[in-house]
Amino acid sequence: MDERRATRAIVWRSFAVQGSWNYETLIGTGFAFVLIPALRMAFAGDDARIRAALHRQSTLFNCHPYFAGLAAAAIARLEAEGTDPELILRFKAALRGSLGAIGDQLFWSAWRPASALTGVMLLLLGAPWWLAIGVFLIVYNSLHLYVRVWGTKAGLRNGLAVAKRLREAPFSVLGKRAGDAGALLAGLCFALAVTAVPGGKGDAALAAAAATAGFWLGPRVRRGLLAAFAILWIIGVSLGLAGP
Amino acid sequence: MLSLSGFLLVCLWGGWVAVDTTSLGQIMISRPLVAATVAGALLGDPAAGAAIGLVLEAFNLMVLPVGASRYPEAGPASVVAGAGYALFATPGALLTCVVFSLAYERVGGETVRALRQFNTHIALTPDSRSDPANVQRQHLVALSLDWLRGTALVALGLAGLVWLLPWVAAHWMLPDNVVRVAVAAGVAGALAATLQLFRGGYRVLLFAAGVGAGLLLGVFR
Repeated sequence: MDERRATRAIVWRSFAVQGSWNYETLIGTGFAFVLIPALRMAFAGDDARIRAALHRQSTLFNCHPYFAGLAAAAIARLEAEGTDPELILRFKAALRGSLGAIGDQLFWSAWRPASALTGVMLLLLGAPWWLAIGVFLIVYNSLHLYVRVWGTKAGLRNGLAVAKRLREAPFSVLGKRAGDAGALLAGLCFALAVTAVPGGKGDAALAAAAATAGFWLGPRVRRGLLAAFAILWIIGVSLGLAGP
Repeated sequence: MLSLSGFLLVCLWGGWVAVDTTSLGQIMISRPLVAATVAGALLGDPAAGAAIGLVLEAFNLMVLPVGASRYPEAGPASVVAGAGYALFATPGALLTCVVFSLAYERVGGETVRALRQFNTHIALTPDSRSDPANVQRQHLVALSLDWLRGTALVALGLAGLVWLLPWVAAHWMLPDNVVRVAVAAGVAGALAATLQLFRGGYRVLLFAAGVGAGLLLGVFR
């Protein structure tokens, strides 16, 4: 199997791995979609082997989308080497949980909020809109794209041993540092938002009350604030409707 | 006024934003900060889009797409709000766009769930999924449906908001300053809540250091 061609094909298709997400196979069909070019390269002309491999690999699967290329590449290599199908399926099941946990922890819980807060901070500091969203997209996608390409190469080169490469990769440390940066940026953006509140002491007190609610309620603050905004909106319209 | 070309452009952008959320790419153009700002830019007022995007981003930092859980879909709703605020800088528009978007995110989330259920109904049988052509066809059909879903969602939302905003402007009685204070306080509250996302004892100190730096920057801004 030509590693460069396989890498390119898997990386490109991995961008669409969740395209047919469903409650039966989760991303199973998408995973098979990602694998097809690599299987064609591995079993050139042998339609029966391609079909047999695809039948095995289009069943239930789920993992973080950015690490799907790693799983697909490792499995493509194992299929190409003629590894025992039972072993491949056990390996795939083991990857499923760990790739999901690593990706969720690194990207959804740390890297994405930290990158987004960078964009928010720039806007709050008065930077032009294109700079704020440009910095956010570049910072976020630098790691996102690196992980897709790195994972695919690691999977193709290491096969079963990719788990060891995953353990050696500094994703845990990176997630922690991104979380640190996120906490710092969240504080900074919070202060910038409070100082942006127009008006006098009463308004600053309102911002302080909202912040306290935020600290206390955490994610639940979203529902509370939506309710508060909706009530304020109803008051705004009702006053007009009741007026002269 | 919203021209037909502007409407179509925003709908096409909305379709792309919707597929970016889950189905294709996930390069984060679906984040409110980007989705709303670009929608505003497409209609000639990126600053209005960015203002809405900032508020909605703060509200969505805590929403994590983990597992098969039900969560609001922020992207298309942000496109609608960013476009609406770019079109109507009228009294009450800021709060209307924010409230509309936060509610419409729920509608978007339900359509994602419905599409996934539909994908389950049309999922390949064990016999048919060994054929590469079948797998590719089903995958591309599902992707196209998601794009259509997003485009339709933005079209309907934008039509509703464009109808609602002039009506609100005609009846709005709250002073603009009250709304600005409330929205800024809400953003501050949402940003404070993100500390729970970055758990860990010493991170409270980092947050506090950030607050100190932010106050200094705020004073000299």
